[in-house]
Amino acid sequence: MRSAIRAQLTTPRFLLFVIIVVLVAVIVALKPSFLNGAFVLAPLITSIAIFTVVGLAQMVVLSIGHMNIAVGNMAAFGAMISGISFDLFGLPLVAGIAAGLVGGGLIGALTGWIIARTGVNSFIVTLAMSFALLGLVPTVYSALSTGSAFVVKPAGFDALGRDSFADVCQFGYCGPAAIPVMVVPVIVVMVLVAVLYTKTRVGRELLLTGSSVKAAEFSGIPTSRRIVLAHTLSGVLAALAGILLATSIGSFTPSIGDEFMLQSFVGPILGGTLLAGGYVSVTGTLLGITLTLVIRKGLELFGVGIETLNVLLGVILLIALSADRVREIRLRKGRTPDASAPPPSDPARSADRSTEEVPA
Amino acid sequence: MRRSTTLTLAVAAVAVGAVLLSGCTPQSETAQGGEATGLDSVQVALVPGGPHPYFQPWIAAGEAAKTDFGLGGTTFNETAAWDQTKQNDVINSLVANGYNAFGVFGVSPTDINSTFDNLKQSGIATAALGSCPAGDTNDADFCLSTDTETAAYKAAQATIEAMGGTGVLAHLTGVNVDSNTQRRIAGVKKAVDETNGAVTLLPDVTDIDTDLTTAQKAVADLLASQGSEITGIVSTAYNPAVAAATAVKESGLPIKLVAIDDDETILAAIEDGSVYATIAQNPTAQAYVGSYALAKLASKECTMAEPGAIIDSGSFVVTKDNVATYDDERVAAGDQLMKDFDSEYLSC
Repeated sequence: MRSAIRAQLTTPRFLLFVIIVVLVAVIVALKPSFLNGAFVLAPLITSIAIFTVVGLAQMVVLSIGHMNIAVGNMAAFGAMISGISFDLFGLPLVAGIAAGLVGGGLIGALTGWIIARTGVNSFIVTLAMSFALLGLVPTVYSALSTGSAFVVKPAGFDALGRDSFADVCQFGYCGPAAIPVMVVPVIVVMVLVAVLYTKTRVGRELLLTGSSVKAAEFSGIPTSRRIVLAHTLSGVLAALAGILLATSIGSFTPSIGDEFMLQSFVGPILGGTLLAGGYVSVTGTLLGITLTLVIRKGLELFGVGIETLNVLLGVILLIALSADRVREIRLRKGRTPDASAPPPSDPARSADRSTEEVPA
Repeated sequence: MRRSTTLTLAVAAVAVGAVLLSGCTPQSETAQGGEATGLDSVQVALVPGGPHPYFQPWIAAGEAAKTDFGLGGTTFNETAAWDQTKQNDVINSLVANGYNAFGVFGVSPTDINSTFDNLKQSGIATAALGSCPAGDTNDADFCLSTDTETAAYKAAQATIEAMGGTGVLAHLTGVNVDSNTQRRIAGVKKAVDETNGAVTLLPDVTDIDTDLTTAQKAVADLLASQGSEITGIVSTAYNPAVAAATAVKESGLPIKLVAIDDDETILAAIEDGSVYATIAQNPTAQAYVGSYALAKLASKECTMAEPGAIIDSGSFVVTKDNVATYDDERVAAGDQLMKDFDSEYLSC
C-alpha cells in the first residue's frame, strides 16, 4: 500500500495534478473572479477541451516515435472541409463534421503513407505537408468564399461551440454556466483514445512500433500500416480540434490552427508521453494542457501582457523537454519513475509496461 | 493500472466538484435589467483588434474620457496578435475584473457579433469601434467607425484627380477577410468606374497591413514589376501607405500617391509634395465619444434610440493646402459627433 502511494507520488501526472490544484487555489485566493462561471471558467474549459484534442493529435504520432509538425495545418484543412460542407453544400452539422474528419484523416493517411513508403523522417514529411497546406488552405478560402470565411452555421453549430450547461434545462432547472457543452464530445474522444491504447491489440502494436520498429517487425506487426494508422488518427483528431475551434469562434477561417503546434507538444510531454515513442498518457495530456491554460488564464486575470504568456509557454516547454530527457536517462539507468516497471530496452516488456500504465 | 485509475478518478472527482461548485440555477434567472447608476460606476475597456499604430490615440482619448466624464475607470488592452480567440480571452478576463462597458475593434468581422451577443446577455454595454461587424447586422449597441467605403472612394477620387483623370491605378489595402477591406475595394472600384475606362485598376494588393516590413516588401515588389506603368497608387491601409510614401519618393518614379491616416512620414511627404494627399480618420473621437456613449448605456442613464446604429466617425482629405489646419476640422467633427449622440443617437 505504502509503495503504491510512493509510486503514485513519483508520476509526472500526479505532480501535474498537485501543481494544478495548488495553482488554482492560489489564483482563486488572489483573484476570486477566477470562479466566474460564464466569463472565466467556461472559456477556460472550452480551451482545455479543444487543446486536449490537439494534444491527443500529437500524442498518437508520438506513440510511434514520430511527430506531426503539420497538426495546425491539418486542423485548418479539416475545418475547411467542414466549412465548405456547410457553406456550399448545406450539409447538416453531423454530416459536415464527419466530412471534415474524413478530410483530416485522408491528409493524415497520405502523410503516414509517404513516411512509411519513403522512410523519410516524420519531421521532414510533416514539415513539407505543413507548407503545402499553408498555401492550399488560404487559396481555397479565397476561391470559394467571400472575405475568406465560411460563415453558414447549421442547426446545433452554436450550441456545440458556445452553449454551456446553463442552456441545458430540465424540470425548470438549468446546468452550471461554467461547463461548456463541448466537453461531452471531447470526453468521448478521450475515452476512445484511452481504450485504443489500453484495451486493444492495435493500440499495443502502435506503442511497440514506437518502442522499436525492428522488434515490432520481428513480432509480426505490420509497422507500415501502424505508421499510416497513427498519422491518420492524428489527422482526424487535428481536424476535430479545428472544427471545435471554429464552432467556438463562430466561423471557419484560414487562421484556424495557427496556435496549435506548440501546444500540441506541451500537453503530451508535460503529461508524461515520451518523445521517443512507446508510452502515452491521455490523462497526462489533459493535465499538461490544463496546467498551461490555467497559468495563461491566471496571468490574463492579473492583466499580464500576452508576450509574457508566450515567454512563459516557451519556458514551460523547455522544462517539459528537459523533464522528458531526464526521464529517458533514468529509464536507461533502470531507475524508472515507476520502480515496478521494466526498462524499455526490452521492447516486448516495454510494450507491456506501456499497456499497463496508459491511464484510461 | 491501479495507479493510473486512481489518478483518473481523482481528476474526474475534481471535475465533478467543479460542476457542483458552479451549481445549477433556476431556469428563470437572468442577468438583465438593473437600476440606473452613476457614470463613476462604469469601467470602460477599449480593446483593439491587435497591435497597430491606428489605435494609439485610443489610449489618451480613454484617459481623457475618464477625467472629463468622471468614469469609474478606463483601460486599453490590446492582444499581441490579430486573433479572435485571444481577443475573446482578453474581453472575458476584463469582464471578470469588473469592466462593464466595451469598445471593441473586432478581429474577425464575421465572428464579433457572437462576442457582442455574449456580453449583452450579461447586461454589458458594447460598441464596435473602428470596424463594424460583417453583414447587415450589428449586435453591439452601436458601431462608431469610419465609413470605409466613402473614405476609400474619396481617396481614389483624389488620386484620379492627381493623375489627371487617366492612367493605371494600384490599390494597396489590408486583410482581405475583413469586411471593411471589401468595402474599401468597393469604394475604389466605384471611383474608377466613374472614369468610364480612362483609368485602369490593377488587381488589389491585399493582406499587406500586418506590419511595416510586410508592406515595404510588397510595395518594393509592386514598383519593381509594374512601377513604370503605374501612374497612381491609393493606399487604404496604414502600413502600405507609410511604405509607399517612402518607396515612391526613393524610386523617383512619377507616381501620384494618396495615402491613409496622418502618420508623421505621410504628413511630411505631403508637405514636400511627394505624396499628393491622405485621408485622415478620427480614432480619437471613436474612443472619446465612444467611451461617453458606452458610459451612458452601462449606467442605464440612456438607451440607444436605434439599437445597433452604425455611425460614421468621419474621414478628412488632407492635401498640401490644409495640412496645417485639418486637425481643427477633425476636432470639430468630434464635437459634433458628441452633440449628435446626445440629441439623436441616445435616448435618455
